[in-house]
Amino acid sequence: MNFNVGVLEANYPALLGGLMVTCLATLIALSIGFVVAVVMVTLRLGGGKWSRRFADAYLTFFRTTPEMVLIFWAYFCLPAVLGIQMSGLTAGSLSLGLVTGAYLAEIFRAGIQSVPKGQFEAGRALGLSRFALWTKVVLPQGVPLMTPPFINYLTELIKNTTLLAAIGVAELAYVAYNLGAQTFRYFEFITAIGIGYFLIIFPISLLSRRLEKTRRQAAM
Amino acid sequence: MAETFWSSLDFGVVWRFRDALLMGLGFTLFLAGSGLVGGTILGALFAVFQSSRFWIVRWPIRALVEFLRATPLLMQAIWVHFALPLALGFTLTPTVSAILALTFNVGAYTSEIFRAGIAAIDKGQIEAARALALPTRLVWTKIILPQAFRLIVPPLTSSAISTVKASTILSILAINDLMRVAMRINGFTYRPVELYTAAALLFFLVGFAISRLGLFVEKRLERPA
Repeated sequence: MNFNVGVLEANYPALLGGLMVTCLATLIALSIGFVVAVVMVTLRLGGGKWSRRFADAYLTFFRTTPEMVLIFWAYFCLPAVLGIQMSGLTAGSLSLGLVTGAYLAEIFRAGIQSVPKGQFEAGRALGLSRFALWTKVVLPQGVPLMTPPFINYLTELIKNTTLLAAIGVAELAYVAYNLGAQTFRYFEFITAIGIGYFLIIFPISLLSRRLEKTRRQAAM
Repeated sequence: MAETFWSSLDFGVVWRFRDALLMGLGFTLFLAGSGLVGGTILGALFAVFQSSRFWIVRWPIRALVEFLRATPLLMQAIWVHFALPLALGFTLTPTVSAILALTFNVGAYTSEIFRAGIAAIDKGQIEAARALALPTRLVWTKIILPQAFRLIVPPLTSSAISTVKASTILSILAINDLMRVAMRINGFTYRPVELYTAAALLFFLVGFAISRLGLFVEKRLERPA
Protein backbone atom coordinates (compact mmCIF):
# COMPACT_ATOMS: atom_id res chain seq x y z
CA MET A 1 0.00 0.00 0.00
CA ASN A 2 1.10 3.58 -0.54
CA PHE A 3 0.95 6.37 2.00
CA ASN A 4 -1.23 9.09 0.45
CA VAL A 5 -0.18 12.46 1.85
CA GLY A 6 -2.59 14.31 -0.45
CA VAL A 7 -5.60 13.10 1.49
CA LEU A 8 -4.12 14.65 4.66
CA GLU A 9 -3.39 17.95 2.92
CA ALA A 10 -6.92 18.13 1.56
CA ASN A 11 -8.42 17.68 5.03
CA TYR A 12 -6.02 19.61 7.23
CA PRO A 13 -8.55 22.35 8.19
CA ALA A 14 -10.83 19.68 9.68
CA LEU A 15 -7.91 18.08 11.54
CA LEU A 16 -6.85 21.49 12.83
CA GLY A 17 -10.40 22.09 14.05
CA GLY A 18 -10.24 18.76 15.90
CA LEU A 19 -6.96 19.78 17.49
CA MET A 20 -8.57 23.03 18.70
CA VAL A 21 -11.40 21.08 20.36
CA THR A 22 -8.80 18.80 22.00
CA CYS A 23 -6.98 21.86 23.37
CA LEU A 24 -10.25 23.44 24.53
CA ALA A 25 -11.33 20.28 26.37
CA THR A 26 -7.88 20.03 27.99
CA LEU A 27 -8.04 23.65 29.17
CA ILE A 28 -11.58 23.38 30.58
CA ALA A 29 -10.79 20.11 32.37
CA LEU A 30 -7.53 21.52 33.73
CA SER A 31 -9.24 24.65 35.09
CA ILE A 32 -12.03 22.64 36.76
CA GLY A 33 -9.49 20.13 38.04
CA PHE A 34 -7.26 22.82 39.54
CA VAL A 35 -10.12 24.37 41.52
CA VAL A 36 -11.42 20.96 42.67
CA ALA A 37 -7.91 19.91 43.72
CA VAL A 38 -7.38 23.05 45.83
CA VAL A 39 -10.74 22.51 47.55
CA MET A 40 -10.02 18.79 48.15
CA VAL A 41 -6.53 19.42 49.55
CA THR A 42 -7.96 22.06 51.89
CA LEU A 43 -10.63 19.62 53.08
CA ARG A 44 -8.12 16.78 53.32
CA LEU A 45 -5.42 18.63 55.27
CA GLY A 46 -7.20 21.51 56.97
CA GLY A 47 -10.68 20.23 57.77
CA GLY A 48 -12.20 18.14 60.51
CA LYS A 49 -12.86 14.41 60.53
CA TRP A 50 -15.89 14.48 58.21
CA SER A 51 -14.43 16.79 55.60
CA ARG A 52 -11.31 14.61 55.54
CA ARG A 53 -13.46 11.52 55.03
CA PHE A 54 -15.40 13.22 52.27
CA ALA A 55 -12.19 14.23 50.47
CA ASP A 56 -10.78 10.71 50.85
CA ALA A 57 -13.94 9.17 49.42
CA TYR A 58 -13.90 11.64 46.51
CA LEU A 59 -10.25 10.90 45.68
CA THR A 60 -10.76 7.12 45.88
CA PHE A 61 -13.91 7.15 43.77
CA PHE A 62 -12.62 9.38 40.98
CA ARG A 63 -9.24 7.67 40.80
CA THR A 64 -10.73 4.16 40.68
CA THR A 65 -13.72 4.57 38.34
CA PRO A 66 -12.87 4.51 34.60
CA GLU A 67 -12.99 7.91 32.88
CA MET A 68 -15.06 6.41 30.08
CA VAL A 69 -17.85 5.45 32.51
CA LEU A 70 -17.82 8.89 34.14
CA ILE A 71 -18.01 10.60 30.75
CA PHE A 72 -20.98 8.44 29.78
CA TRP A 73 -22.62 9.14 33.11
CA ALA A 74 -22.15 12.88 32.78
CA TYR A 75 -23.45 12.90 29.22
CA PHE A 76 -26.45 10.56 29.50
CA CYS A 77 -27.45 10.72 33.18
CA LEU A 78 -26.46 14.10 34.61
CA PRO A 79 -28.80 16.12 32.34
CA ALA A 80 -31.71 13.88 33.44
CA VAL A 81 -30.79 14.15 37.13
CA LEU A 82 -30.35 17.93 37.05
CA GLY A 83 -33.02 18.61 34.44
CA ILE A 84 -30.66 20.64 32.21
CA GLN A 85 -29.23 20.43 28.70
CA MET A 86 -25.52 19.74 28.33
CA SER A 87 -23.34 19.48 25.23
CA GLY A 88 -20.93 16.59 24.83
CA LEU A 89 -17.98 18.93 25.23
CA THR A 90 -19.37 20.33 28.50
CA ALA A 91 -20.25 16.94 29.96
CA GLY A 92 -16.96 15.36 28.84
CA SER A 93 -14.72 18.18 30.04
CA LEU A 94 -16.61 18.31 33.33
CA SER A 95 -16.04 14.62 34.05
CA LEU A 96 -12.40 14.81 33.00
CA GLY A 97 -12.10 17.90 35.24
CA LEU A 98 -13.47 16.01 38.25
CA VAL A 99 -10.99 13.17 37.64
CA THR A 100 -8.14 15.65 37.13
CA GLY A 101 -9.12 17.26 40.45
CA ALA A 102 -8.64 13.95 42.26
CA TYR A 103 -5.21 13.28 40.74
CA LEU A 104 -3.98 16.87 41.19
CA ALA A 105 -5.17 16.85 44.82
CA GLU A 106 -2.87 13.88 45.51
CA ILE A 107 0.02 15.68 43.82
CA PHE A 108 -0.60 18.87 45.79
CA ARG A 109 -0.98 16.95 49.05
CA ALA A 110 2.33 15.16 48.54
CA GLY A 111 4.04 18.48 47.80
CA ILE A 112 2.63 20.20 50.88
CA GLN A 113 3.33 17.27 53.18
CA SER A 114 6.95 17.15 52.00
CA VAL A 115 7.53 20.48 53.74
CA PRO A 116 8.80 19.62 57.26
CA LYS A 117 6.41 20.37 60.13
CA GLY A 118 9.09 22.50 61.79
CA GLN A 119 8.78 25.00 58.93
CA PHE A 120 5.08 25.58 59.73
CA GLU A 121 5.84 25.83 63.45
CA ALA A 122 8.75 28.20 62.92
CA GLY A 123 6.59 30.38 60.67
CA ARG A 124 3.88 30.54 63.29
CA ALA A 125 6.36 31.18 66.08
CA LEU A 126 7.69 34.16 64.10
CA GLY A 127 4.14 35.51 63.97
CA LEU A 128 3.77 35.21 60.19
CA SER A 129 0.24 35.69 58.91
CA ARG A 130 -1.47 32.63 57.40
CA PHE A 131 -1.07 34.19 53.94
CA ALA A 132 2.64 34.88 54.42
CA LEU A 133 3.20 31.42 55.90
CA TRP A 134 1.78 29.80 52.75
CA THR A 135 3.15 32.14 50.07
CA LYS A 136 6.60 32.73 51.58
CA VAL A 137 7.38 29.47 53.41
CA VAL A 138 5.30 26.47 52.36
CA LEU A 139 4.59 26.92 48.65
CA PRO A 140 8.13 27.96 47.59
CA GLN A 141 9.34 24.66 49.05
CA GLY A 142 6.41 22.50 47.96
CA VAL A 143 5.84 23.76 44.40
CA PRO A 144 9.15 22.49 42.90
CA LEU A 145 8.16 19.02 44.11
CA MET A 146 4.64 19.28 42.64
CA THR A 147 5.64 20.65 39.24
CA PRO A 148 7.05 17.50 37.53
CA PRO A 149 4.07 15.23 38.39
CA PHE A 150 1.68 18.08 37.56
CA ILE A 151 3.18 18.43 34.08
CA ASN A 152 3.19 14.66 33.72
CA TYR A 153 -0.51 14.54 34.57
CA LEU A 154 -1.13 17.09 31.83
CA THR A 155 0.03 14.46 29.31
CA GLU A 156 -2.45 11.96 30.79
CA LEU A 157 -5.22 14.54 30.49
CA ILE A 158 -4.47 15.27 26.83
CA LYS A 159 -4.57 11.53 26.11
CA ASN A 160 -7.86 11.20 28.01
CA THR A 161 -9.55 13.88 25.91
CA THR A 162 -9.73 11.28 23.11
CA LEU A 163 -12.43 9.54 25.20
CA LEU A 164 -14.75 12.43 24.35
CA ALA A 165 -14.92 10.90 20.87
CA ALA A 166 -17.13 8.16 22.36
CA ILE A 167 -19.89 10.72 23.07
CA GLY A 168 -19.51 12.36 19.66
CA VAL A 169 -17.34 15.37 20.50
CA ALA A 170 -15.44 16.36 17.34
CA GLU A 171 -11.96 16.31 18.88
CA LEU A 172 -8.87 15.20 16.97
CA ALA A 173 -9.35 11.41 17.21
CA TYR A 174 -13.04 11.64 16.30
CA VAL A 175 -12.35 13.85 13.27
CA ALA A 176 -9.55 11.57 12.06
CA TYR A 177 -11.66 8.43 12.53
CA ASN A 178 -14.57 9.92 10.60
CA LEU A 179 -12.33 11.16 7.78
CA GLY A 180 -10.83 7.67 7.68
CA ALA A 181 -14.31 6.13 7.44
CA GLN A 182 -15.34 8.51 4.63
CA THR A 183 -12.23 8.03 2.50
CA PHE A 184 -11.24 4.54 3.70
CA ARG A 185 -7.78 6.05 4.30
CA TYR A 186 -7.65 5.01 7.96
CA PHE A 187 -3.94 4.28 7.75
CA GLU A 188 -3.00 7.84 6.74
CA PHE A 189 -5.36 9.63 9.13
CA ILE A 190 -4.79 7.54 12.26
CA THR A 191 -1.02 7.41 11.72
CA ALA A 192 -0.97 11.18 11.19
CA ILE A 193 -2.81 11.96 14.42
CA GLY A 194 -0.64 9.40 16.21
CA ILE A 195 2.43 11.37 15.17
CA GLY A 196 0.57 14.58 16.08
CA TYR A 197 -0.22 13.36 19.61
CA PHE A 198 3.35 12.17 20.02
CA LEU A 199 4.75 15.56 18.94
CA ILE A 200 2.57 17.33 21.51
CA ILE A 201 2.84 14.91 24.43
CA PHE A 202 6.44 13.70 24.21
CA PRO A 203 8.06 17.16 24.71
CA ILE A 204 5.79 17.81 27.71
CA SER A 205 6.79 14.45 29.15
CA LEU A 206 10.49 15.24 28.56
CA LEU A 207 10.06 18.59 30.32
CA SER A 208 8.55 16.82 33.34
CA ARG A 209 11.46 14.36 33.47
CA ARG A 210 14.03 17.15 33.09
CA LEU A 211 12.48 19.15 35.95
CA GLU A 212 12.37 16.05 38.17
CA LYS A 213 16.02 15.34 37.47
CA THR A 214 17.21 18.88 38.22
CA ARG A 215 15.08 18.94 41.37
CA ARG A 216 16.67 15.69 42.59
CA GLN A 217 20.15 16.96 41.86
CA ALA A 218 19.40 20.23 43.66
CA ALA A 219 18.06 18.30 46.66
CA MET A 220 21.27 16.31 46.98
CA MET B 1 -40.03 18.05 38.03
CA ALA B 2 -37.37 16.59 40.31
CA GLU B 3 -39.94 14.34 41.99
CA THR B 4 -41.16 12.93 38.72
CA PHE B 5 -37.57 12.19 37.76
CA TRP B 6 -36.77 10.30 40.96
CA SER B 7 -40.05 8.40 40.90
CA SER B 8 -39.46 7.50 37.25
CA LEU B 9 -36.27 5.62 38.15
CA ASP B 10 -36.60 1.85 37.85
CA PHE B 11 -33.54 -0.08 38.92
CA GLY B 12 -35.46 -3.26 38.09
CA VAL B 13 -33.93 -2.96 34.60
CA VAL B 14 -30.50 -3.71 36.07
CA TRP B 15 -31.88 -6.83 37.75
CA ARG B 16 -33.76 -7.94 34.62
CA PHE B 17 -30.58 -7.79 32.54
CA ARG B 18 -28.28 -9.05 35.30
CA ASP B 19 -27.06 -12.01 33.23
CA ALA B 20 -26.05 -9.84 30.29
CA LEU B 21 -24.38 -7.28 32.56
CA LEU B 22 -22.46 -9.97 34.47
CA MET B 23 -21.32 -11.53 31.18
CA GLY B 24 -20.12 -8.06 30.20
CA LEU B 25 -18.27 -7.75 33.49
CA GLY B 26 -16.76 -11.19 32.89
CA PHE B 27 -15.57 -10.12 29.44
CA THR B 28 -14.13 -6.89 30.87
CA LEU B 29 -12.19 -8.93 33.44
CA PHE B 30 -11.03 -11.35 30.74
CA LEU B 31 -9.89 -8.44 28.56
CA ALA B 32 -8.14 -6.64 31.42
CA GLY B 33 -6.63 -9.93 32.65
CA SER B 34 -5.20 -10.81 29.21
CA GLY B 35 -3.93 -7.25 28.81
CA LEU B 36 -2.29 -7.36 32.22
CA VAL B 37 -0.67 -10.79 31.84
CA GLY B 38 0.40 -10.17 28.23
CA GLY B 39 1.48 -6.63 29.07
CA THR B 40 3.54 -7.71 32.08
CA ILE B 41 5.39 -10.35 30.03
CA LEU B 42 5.89 -7.91 27.16
CA GLY B 43 6.96 -5.20 29.61
CA ALA B 44 9.59 -7.50 31.15
CA LEU B 45 10.88 -8.30 27.64
CA PHE B 46 10.95 -4.60 26.72
CA ALA B 47 12.91 -3.87 29.91
CA VAL B 48 15.42 -6.68 29.27
CA PHE B 49 15.94 -5.55 25.66
CA GLN B 50 16.38 -1.96 26.77
CA SER B 51 19.27 -2.91 29.02
CA SER B 52 21.00 -4.69 26.13
CA ARG B 53 24.61 -3.78 25.38
CA PHE B 54 23.80 -3.29 21.69
CA TRP B 55 22.23 -0.01 20.65
CA ILE B 56 20.60 -1.65 17.64
CA VAL B 57 18.47 -3.68 20.09
CA ARG B 58 18.04 -0.95 22.69
CA TRP B 59 17.10 1.96 20.47
CA PRO B 60 14.04 0.66 18.52
CA ILE B 61 12.46 -0.76 21.70
CA ARG B 62 13.04 2.53 23.52
CA ALA B 63 11.39 4.43 20.63
CA LEU B 64 8.41 2.05 20.62
CA VAL B 65 7.91 2.38 24.39
CA GLU B 66 8.12 6.19 24.23
CA PHE B 67 5.66 6.28 21.35
CA LEU B 68 3.16 4.00 23.09
CA ARG B 69 3.38 6.08 26.27
CA ALA B 70 2.96 9.39 24.49
CA THR B 71 -0.11 8.50 22.41
CA PRO B 72 -3.70 7.78 23.56
CA LEU B 73 -4.88 4.18 23.84
CA LEU B 74 -8.08 5.05 21.97
CA MET B 75 -6.01 6.13 18.97
CA GLN B 76 -3.83 3.00 19.26
CA ALA B 77 -6.93 0.78 19.32
CA ILE B 78 -8.37 2.47 16.21
CA TRP B 79 -5.01 2.16 14.52
CA VAL B 80 -4.71 -1.57 15.26
CA HIS B 81 -8.30 -2.32 14.23
CA PHE B 82 -8.76 -0.07 11.19
CA ALA B 83 -5.35 1.03 9.90
CA LEU B 84 -3.17 -2.04 10.52
CA PRO B 85 -5.37 -4.43 8.46
CA LEU B 86 -4.96 -2.11 5.44
CA ALA B 87 -1.20 -2.52 5.75
CA LEU B 88 -1.30 -6.25 6.55
CA GLY B 89 -3.98 -7.23 4.03
CA PHE B 90 -6.11 -9.21 6.51
CA THR B 91 -8.64 -8.15 9.14
CA LEU B 92 -8.58 -8.75 12.88
CA THR B 93 -11.65 -9.45 15.01
CA PRO B 94 -12.50 -6.64 17.44
CA THR B 95 -11.54 -8.83 20.40
CA VAL B 96 -8.10 -9.62 18.96
CA SER B 97 -7.52 -5.94 18.12
CA ALA B 98 -8.57 -4.93 21.62
CA ILE B 99 -6.27 -7.43 23.35
CA LEU B 100 -3.38 -6.54 21.03
CA ALA B 101 -3.72 -2.80 21.61
CA LEU B 102 -4.14 -3.22 25.36
CA THR B 103 -1.17 -5.62 25.66
CA PHE B 104 1.23 -3.25 23.90
CA ASN B 105 -0.06 -0.24 25.86
CA VAL B 106 0.23 -2.01 29.22
CA GLY B 107 3.58 -3.45 28.14
CA ALA B 108 5.01 0.01 27.56
CA TYR B 109 3.96 1.19 31.03
CA THR B 110 5.07 -1.94 32.90
CA SER B 111 8.44 -1.90 31.11
CA GLU B 112 9.11 1.40 32.90
CA ILE B 113 8.17 -0.24 36.22
CA PHE B 114 10.55 -3.14 35.48
CA ARG B 115 13.28 -0.74 34.41
CA ALA B 116 13.05 1.11 37.70
CA GLY B 117 13.04 -2.23 39.57
CA ILE B 118 16.11 -3.42 37.68
CA ALA B 119 17.90 -0.11 38.18
CA ALA B 120 17.32 -0.39 41.95
CA ILE B 121 19.37 -3.60 42.14
CA ASP B 122 22.92 -3.18 43.34
CA LYS B 123 25.29 -3.12 40.34
CA GLY B 124 27.88 -5.02 42.39
CA GLN B 125 25.66 -8.11 42.35
CA ILE B 126 25.54 -8.15 38.58
CA GLU B 127 29.29 -7.59 38.37
CA ALA B 128 29.89 -10.38 40.91
CA ALA B 129 27.67 -12.73 38.88
CA ARG B 130 29.60 -11.87 35.70
CA ALA B 131 32.90 -12.35 37.54
CA LEU B 132 31.68 -15.81 38.55
CA ALA B 133 31.08 -16.43 34.82
CA LEU B 134 27.32 -16.93 35.26
CA PRO B 135 25.61 -17.02 31.86
CA THR B 136 23.51 -13.92 31.03
CA ARG B 137 20.31 -15.96 31.14
CA LEU B 138 21.02 -17.03 34.73
CA VAL B 139 22.03 -13.49 35.76
CA TRP B 140 18.51 -12.44 34.74
CA THR B 141 16.48 -15.39 36.04
CA LYS B 142 18.37 -16.01 39.30
CA ILE B 143 19.59 -12.59 40.36
CA ILE B 144 17.92 -9.61 38.73
CA LEU B 145 14.30 -10.61 38.14
CA PRO B 146 13.56 -12.30 41.53
CA GLN B 147 14.67 -9.16 43.36
CA ALA B 148 13.02 -6.81 40.89
CA PHE B 149 9.69 -8.65 41.27
CA ARG B 150 9.41 -7.78 44.94
CA LEU B 151 10.01 -4.09 44.20
CA ILE B 152 7.43 -3.92 41.46
CA VAL B 153 4.38 -5.35 43.25
CA PRO B 154 3.02 -1.98 44.48
CA PRO B 155 3.34 -0.24 41.09
CA LEU B 156 1.93 -3.34 39.34
CA THR B 157 -1.22 -3.06 41.49
CA SER B 158 -1.82 0.42 40.24
CA SER B 159 -1.14 -0.73 36.70
CA ALA B 160 -3.79 -3.46 37.21
CA ILE B 161 -6.32 -0.77 38.13
CA SER B 162 -5.32 1.36 35.12
CA THR B 163 -5.67 -1.71 32.91
CA VAL B 164 -9.28 -2.24 34.03
CA LYS B 165 -9.92 1.46 33.44
CA ALA B 166 -8.20 1.33 30.06
CA SER B 167 -10.22 -1.73 28.98
CA THR B 168 -13.38 0.44 29.00
CA ILE B 169 -11.81 2.57 26.26
CA LEU B 170 -11.78 -0.50 24.03
CA SER B 171 -15.60 -0.58 24.08
CA ILE B 172 -15.34 1.76 21.06
CA LEU B 173 -14.47 -1.39 19.11
CA ALA B 174 -17.51 -3.63 18.92
CA ILE B 175 -16.65 -5.93 21.84
CA ASN B 176 -19.15 -7.07 24.47
CA ASP B 177 -17.50 -5.65 27.56
CA LEU B 178 -19.56 -4.25 30.46
CA MET B 179 -19.55 -0.74 29.03
CA ARG B 180 -20.77 -1.84 25.61
CA VAL B 181 -23.40 -4.18 27.10
CA ALA B 182 -24.77 -1.29 29.19
CA MET B 183 -24.91 0.84 26.02
CA ARG B 184 -26.73 -1.90 24.11
CA ILE B 185 -29.34 -2.48 26.82
CA ASN B 186 -29.84 1.27 27.05
CA GLY B 187 -30.43 1.26 23.31
CA PHE B 188 -33.82 -0.46 23.69
CA THR B 189 -34.79 0.22 27.33
CA TYR B 190 -33.89 3.96 27.47
CA ARG B 191 -32.78 3.67 31.10
CA PRO B 192 -29.35 5.38 30.99
CA VAL B 193 -29.36 6.58 34.60
CA GLU B 194 -30.00 3.12 36.06
CA LEU B 195 -27.68 1.23 33.68
CA TYR B 196 -24.70 3.60 33.70
CA THR B 197 -24.92 4.08 37.47
CA ALA B 198 -24.84 0.30 37.91
CA ALA B 199 -21.88 0.04 35.50
CA ALA B 200 -19.99 2.82 37.32
CA LEU B 201 -20.54 1.12 40.70
CA LEU B 202 -19.41 -2.28 39.34
CA PHE B 203 -16.24 -0.76 37.89
CA PHE B 204 -15.56 1.07 41.13
CA LEU B 205 -15.96 -2.16 43.14
CA VAL B 206 -13.58 -4.04 40.83
CA GLY B 207 -10.93 -1.30 41.11
CA PHE B 208 -11.39 -1.05 44.86
CA ALA B 209 -11.04 -4.83 45.25
CA ILE B 210 -7.80 -4.81 43.23
CA SER B 211 -6.28 -2.03 45.33
CA ARG B 212 -7.18 -3.94 48.55
CA LEU B 213 -5.69 -7.14 47.11
CA GLY B 214 -2.53 -5.23 46.17
CA LEU B 215 -2.12 -3.93 49.73
CA PHE B 216 -2.57 -7.49 51.04
CA VAL B 217 0.07 -8.95 48.68
CA GLU B 218 2.43 -6.09 49.49
CA LYS B 219 2.15 -6.84 53.22
CA ARG B 220 2.75 -10.55 52.65
CA LEU B 221 5.87 -9.82 50.63
CA GLU B 222 7.26 -7.52 53.30
CA ARG B 223 7.24 -10.14 56.04
CA PRO B 224 10.06 -12.50 55.03
CA ALA B 225 12.44 -9.65 54.18
